[in-house]
Amino acid sequence: MAENSDVWVVVPAFNESTAIGAVISDLRHFASNIVVVDDGSIDETAAAAETAGARVLRHVVNRGQGAALQTGIEYSLSHGARIIVTFDSDGQHSPADLPILVAPLLEGKADIVLGSRFLGSADRMPALRRVLLRIAVFFTRLMSGLKITDAHNGLRAFSRRAASMIHIQLDRMAHASELMDQIRRSGLPYTEVPVHVRYTQYSREKGQRTVHALRIAFDYFIGKWVR
Amino acid sequence: MTTFQSIGLPLLALLALITVVAMVRHSINARAGFGWLAVWIAAATAIARPSITITVAHALGIGRGADLVLYCAILGMLIGFFFIYIRFKRLDREITKVVRHIAIHQSERGD
Repeated sequence: MAENSDVWVVVPAFNESTAIGAVISDLRHFASNIVVVDDGSIDETAAAAETAGARVLRHVVNRGQGAALQTGIEYSLSHGARIIVTFDSDGQHSPADLPILVAPLLEGKADIVLGSRFLGSADRMPALRRVLLRIAVFFTRLMSGLKITDAHNGLRAFSRRAASMIHIQLDRMAHASELMDQIRRSGLPYTEVPVHVRYTQYSREKGQRTVHALRIAFDYFIGKWVR
Repeated sequence: MTTFQSIGLPLLALLALITVVAMVRHSINARAGFGWLAVWIAAATAIARPSITITVAHALGIGRGADLVLYCAILGMLIGFFFIYIRFKRLDREITKVVRHIAIHQSERGD
């Protein structure tokens, strides 16, 4: 699938100049269309991504990961993407998981494929993070009714049909739960595949702090009210 | 007339006048205008005839007129904050739409 021009990879990035170059270079072995959405970075993220061979869209001000994903998805759709993969910019995900992720879409078995670190593997996941993610999964199952094992994994794949139906409105991190609601409401078939997540020193420093979980839950509930 | 009444009542009269002018010029809609007028009239009544607040307070099971005014003020502010928060969130989304539009269109001009 190296030259598969139907597959578009959307990479939201905020101040990731140190990691993004390597992430894009690795991704290019598996996909030709890579869209980096630079979410108002103040470092050289955009330049690093462009040098590595990605198309770069720039948010003039930081709007959050949910907003960046939606921008990348809309752009990819308007350029004829048949399959859209979302991929984190901090090097947590493994580009080698891409073929596994898009396989159910190509085989017509699902419209949405979610990567799960709990079905797959996660290197050096901090114990507290493991507990928190389990709680988040419980919360998501409760709210959306989706039977999934990992709600907050940025590695996902959507068919064109699914991507067109999804409108991420929650700009910041609560979009993950919002997305699950929309998947359920769309009624489209979804599946989970095992993926590998790597917790590096860098990703831990850059990633979500544990205390932000409450804020995310709050945003999610407020989001249910504001339409 | 107490000192507070002689400051408060003209101030509220001025606010009511501004509200009416704003309504006439259509810078606020009629519903909001009448809502604010009601607030100014209620405040003026409470300042001019404090005994009325006591009557209303007793009717609602509150001991003192001043407590009634305090509770109403706090409740009003909380409701106000809530609506401002909702509006703020909505504005946030509008900003995102603008930022997205710029991002996509700038890249297309660059292609």
